[in-house]
Amino acid sequence: MDFCRTVDILYAALPLRPFRDWLIRTHMERCPRCQARLISREDARGLLVSPEAAGDADALWQRIISRSDGPTAVPGPAPRREGLAWRWAAAAAMTIVVALTGFWLLREVERPGFDADVIAPAGRFQIDYINVGGAPAHTFVYQPQGTDTVFVWASKTP
Amino acid sequence: MEEGTKPPVDEREIIEGCLRGSSASNRAMVEAYGNLVLSVALNVVGNRQDAEDICQETFLQVFRRLDRYDRERSFKTWLLTIAYRRSLDMLRKKRRFKEFSVRARYEPAVTGKGGNPHPADPAPLPSKLLKALSPRERTALCLWAYESYTAKDISEVLACSASTARVYLFNARRKIKALLENDHGLLQNG
Repeated sequence: MDFCRTVDILYAALPLRPFRDWLIRTHMERCPRCQARLISREDARGLLVSPEAAGDADALWQRIISRSDGPTAVPGPAPRREGLAWRWAAAAAMTIVVALTGFWLLREVERPGFDADVIAPAGRFQIDYINVGGAPAHTFVYQPQGTDTVFVWASKTP
Repeated sequence: MEEGTKPPVDEREIIEGCLRGSSASNRAMVEAYGNLVLSVALNVVGNRQDAEDICQETFLQVFRRLDRYDRERSFKTWLLTIAYRRSLDMLRKKRRFKEFSVRARYEPAVTGKGGNPHPADPAPLPSKLLKALSPRERTALCLWAYESYTAKDISEVLACSASTARVYLFNARRKIKALLENDHGLLQNG
C-alpha cells in the first residue's frame, strides 16, 4: 500500500508526462491492489448513457434533414473544387512577381549610387575648421546620394 | 427515405450509397450509428441539447467529408473521432461563454447511477460523477465500457499514443471508483 502511495506521489511530482504515464501504466498493470481500485466495466456502464438509451435515431434523422432543408439537401461528399488550379496559378504568378521585384531591387542597389564606399566618404573628405570673419563658423557638409559632389555651407557665428 | 428504395444494411453499401448522395443511405447511416454517436456525445458533454447538436454536426460533416475516409481504417472509429472532436469544440465553446455549468443537468451524485432524477423523464443523462473526469477520460471510459474498445482503438479516437490512452482509462476508472466509494461511505455514515 505504501508503494502504491509512493507511486501516486511520484505521479503527481514528476514533471514529464511520458515518465508519469510510464509510471502509472507499469504500476497499474502489475499491482493487484491498484487494479482492485479500478471501476469495473459493468459499474462504469451504470454511470454512462448507453447507445440504446441515448435517443431515437428516427428523430435524429428528422432533425438532420430539417437542418439541411429537406431530404434531398443532405450534403453529399464535397465536390472537388474547380477553382483549385486557378488558386495555384495565382499563387505561382504572385511568387514570380515577388521574385522579379526582389531581383529588380537588388540590381538597383548594385548600381553606383548605392555603393557603400560612396555613401560613406569619410576617408575622402575632411575639414578641420572654417573661419568666417576671423571666428570659427557654423559649418554644414552635404553630399547628394550617388554623386561625388560635396557641398559645404558655412555661416558666420552670431 | 426515398420512395420504394430499400435501405442498405451493410456498412460498405451504406458508405458507397452516401458517396453517391443517396438519401436512403444517409438515413441508413444515421439509423445505424446515430445512437452510438449520441451516447458518446452525451457522455462527454453531459447535456442532451448539446449532444444532439454535436450529433447533427457530426453526421453533416461525415456526409460532406466521406470521400476523405480511409477505407483501411474502421469506419466506426473514424465517425467517433469526428464526434469526439465536435464534443471538444462544444465544450470549448461552452467554457468560453460560461454556460456549461448552468445548462448541464445531472443526477444527484450519491446514487451513482445514470438517468434523470425524474423517472418519468424518458431522456437519461450521465452521472454527475463523470464531471470529475476530463473530456478525454470520459471518452476513454465511454468507449471502453460500451464499445469494448482497446487502448489502441481509443488512442485513434483521442489522437494520442496507445499508452497515453491506457493512462486516461486507468485514471478515469480509478477516479470514478474512488468517488463511488466516497459516496458509499457518505451514505453509510449519514
